[in-house]
Amino acid sequence: MRTDLTLGIAGSGGDGVIVAGDFLVWAAASEGLYSFMLKSFGSQIRGGESSCKIRVGEDPILSQGDKLDVLVAFNWKDYAKFRSELEIKEGAVVLCDSADPTPDEDIPLPRSAHPVLYKIPLQQIAASRTGRGPGKNMVMLGVLSEMFGFHADAIQAALRKRFQKKGDAVVDLNLGLFEAGAAYVREHVQRRDQLIFSYRRAEPKMVISGNEALALGAIAAGVGFFAGYPITPASEIIEYLARLMPLYDGVWVQAEDEIAALGMALGASYSGKRAMTATSGPGLSLMNEMIGLASLAEIPVVIVDVQRVGPSTGMPTKSEQSDLQQALYGTHGDAPRVVLAPADVEDCFTVAMDAVCIAEEYQLPVIILSDQFIGQRKESVPKFDANRIKVCERPVPGPGELSNFKRYLLNESGISPMSFPGIKHGEYTAAGIEHDEYGNPTSSPQMHEQMNAKRFRKLETLRRRWPYVRRYGSSGAEVGVIGWGSSKGAIKEAILRAEEHGIKVAGLVPQLIYPPAYEDFEAFLKPLKKVIVVEMSYSAQFLKYLKSSYRLPDDVVLLKRSGGIPFTVEEIYRKIEQEVTGGVRV
Amino acid sequence: MSDGSVKQFKKEVKPVWCPGCGNYGVLSAVFQAFGRLDVPREDIVLVSGIGCSSRLPGYVNVYGFNSVHGRSLPIATGVKLAKPELTVVAVGGDGDALSIGGGHIPHIARRNVDITFLIMDNSIYALTKGQASPTTPFDDITTTSTYGTIDEPLDAVSLALAYGVSFVARGHSADVKHLASLIVEGIHHPGFALIHIISPCITWRGMKGYDEIKERTYYLDERHDPADKAQAVAVSLEKERLPLGIIYRERRPTYWERILGQREDAKSRGVPSIETLLNQFVP
Ligand SMILES: Cc1ncc(C[n+]2csc(CCOP(=O)(O)OP(=O)(O)O)c2C)c(N)n1
Ligand code: SF4
Repeated sequence: MRTDLTLGIAGSGGDGVIVAGDFLVWAAASEGLYSFMLKSFGSQIRGGESSCKIRVGEDPILSQGDKLDVLVAFNWKDYAKFRSELEIKEGAVVLCDSADPTPDEDIPLPRSAHPVLYKIPLQQIAASRTGRGPGKNMVMLGVLSEMFGFHADAIQAALRKRFQKKGDAVVDLNLGLFEAGAAYVREHVQRRDQLIFSYRRAEPKMVISGNEALALGAIAAGVGFFAGYPITPASEIIEYLARLMPLYDGVWVQAEDEIAALGMALGASYSGKRAMTATSGPGLSLMNEMIGLASLAEIPVVIVDVQRVGPSTGMPTKSEQSDLQQALYGTHGDAPRVVLAPADVEDCFTVAMDAVCIAEEYQLPVIILSDQFIGQRKESVPKFDANRIKVCERPVPGPGELSNFKRYLLNESGISPMSFPGIKHGEYTAAGIEHDEYGNPTSSPQMHEQMNAKRFRKLETLRRRWPYVRRYGSSGAEVGVIGWGSSKGAIKEAILRAEEHGIKVAGLVPQLIYPPAYEDFEAFLKPLKKVIVVEMSYSAQFLKYLKSSYRLPDDVVLLKRSGGIPFTVEEIYRKIEQEVTGGVRV
Repeated sequence: MSDGSVKQFKKEVKPVWCPGCGNYGVLSAVFQAFGRLDVPREDIVLVSGIGCSSRLPGYVNVYGFNSVHGRSLPIATGVKLAKPELTVVAVGGDGDALSIGGGHIPHIARRNVDITFLIMDNSIYALTKGQASPTTPFDDITTTSTYGTIDEPLDAVSLALAYGVSFVARGHSADVKHLASLIVEGIHHPGFALIHIISPCITWRGMKGYDEIKERTYYLDERHDPADKAQAVAVSLEKERLPLGIIYRERRPTYWERILGQREDAKSRGVPSIETLLNQFVP
């Protein structure tokens, strides 16, 4: 019996692959199981082949899993297109539609894996109930549920809840399809204990994507203004907020481009509202000038960058960590900003709230570097705790400070009170041009030096107040792994696996990427002889940044590659094993 | 209008503009207009881009935002939508408004955000020292058109009418009183108001701008009906003589009115608590 399984589904547009995957995750969550779902599409706009990979387990799931325990192929031609993403394990169970004409010897699976193949008349069963093709996915869901030994009532309840709006006829039809699939298994499949999934039912989990979680975080933090321009893979944030903002008296604008989006957010923030925009790499490039403006004029704003594969339009539906340099250094001049990186779906919720707090208090642009891998994947996680919601206030001048108001007061923390329109005697000119303490333009090099120092001082203040890194693994290890963002899941799981094998290794994943968290890094790096840096960037952007910020051990090992598919636990574990046990260096 | 009410808007900071610059006239008109508004200083916001003309907010004792080149309109939009009770005026040069920032005008026009936009047109890039701008006349010699410009100039008024701007007017910096009244009308207009202002740069164009005002402009009188779009388009096409005054005015819903309508509509089906929102993700 298993407690953790990885399943892949592949098929054509009409097969309902994603819907089936969604249901499976939804049903598992209703049983209190953890799960993790990745979707993958072909390059066409609509229709065409699609696939999903789902991992389900009783314990929290950290990564998408490695090779598949179970594969569902609605048809072999489509599966072939996702072969590298959906490799099967030795002895995997494979379910396919007996309607697929591919002869056994042409099935694109490695014979060496000895798959256990079940040909199921999905098409035929569906057609007998609907008279037409669709519905195969529901039949398949019945098949899987029965094979895994899921509680059918839970899935049926989930189905009912989902189809309720479409009326009783639709509910009945789908329940019928589901039941027909289950009945087929009871009748025709004898040996199926190998698939039975053992679990205790628990509190239902939340099923949510990183983008949705981020939008919820924004609402929770009291964001009152959002402007955005559609771009994959950030659009879900923009779309979900379009639905939510009006409900909470917020303003949502679809801007004409990213420059306007950030400009509007800056204007709104200047007026006193918590403001946010969201985009992906190319949009962040357009925003660069405005980031400098926010930095120099000291205007709070949160900019979400859901990274995709670049440069240029790259591979817009796939993930990479290659906007790091742009986030750290993008824009001209010396422009302090804060860069935060959520590392999983739940983080997207909390990091969004923290980003708003930091922006408001420190009055600078805060860039959230999310990525497609966390933004668009679905995870089931324990329900977010509404009591943990943080709402922060920006420092406004008190009555005493208004008699001779210095908007850009030079002080120790670098944080000066910010008035906004409507506050009498707080009038000032926010300026992208260098200015004195009142906001009046200046071209004095001395004043520029002082103002630079003030603006960067805020980062010092922040660094001391927001220790924002995660540590994993053994404290006595001599080898450490450092990664960031969505690589966390695979890194953490690889470290756990290493420890199970008696390999001592430590892990560090910062969420505060910039300014550097010196103390935490120093403490982590001190006992290490060797450090493995994991990142999804061809030119090793993260390693370069680490080298410029921290004193790394002499022995630095780099595990980097271009994006497209997420790191697997296996990839990282092998590297750890090799480096700790002294295998061959590549 | 009492002088006292105008005085409160004057900052001690002295403008850095050249003596004779048309922008002084615009600044005086802004002071006069604000003096007539009966709006407290702290409720007025001036937003600009970058250019000689964009320096203006720094000289007025209200809330100001001197931003980056070409982006005053999106920023002003954010300011206004965050606090709709504010009086928001965006200002800038012809390069700022029509070249680098030209792409924002159609969108603020179709949203009809309640902002007044003053385009100070000197037909040159002045701050950067005399390059051709989008309104430099054909064949004029500038630092970037040594052999004469070969680009046709843009006309802000025609563009505004084509984009559906709901209030379009033209004035010039030598008639401060007239300009001030246009600005007041523009601010009172609920919706996006664009005011094209001929504001000469004597440093880079000599007296050309003032000559144009003298020789090529005329005031619209009561025969012109600003509610009549066809008539507005007709006068905007006159090339020999440029019409001054309110060219077009139309009352249609502002963006904020639409936002409020939509908000009410959305909320009529109930407003979920954050707890309820979270529960929507639980099976
Ligand atoms: C992105 C960007 N490009 C170019 C400039 C340089 N620049 C500053 S002001 C200006 C033109 C100013 O012309 P206009 O807007 O007509 O204002 P004027 O100075 O004539 O009043 C230019 C090109 C800039 N500041 N930013
Ligand atoms: S350069 Fe021209 S526009 Fe600029 S201040 Fe001087 S006269 Fe005015």
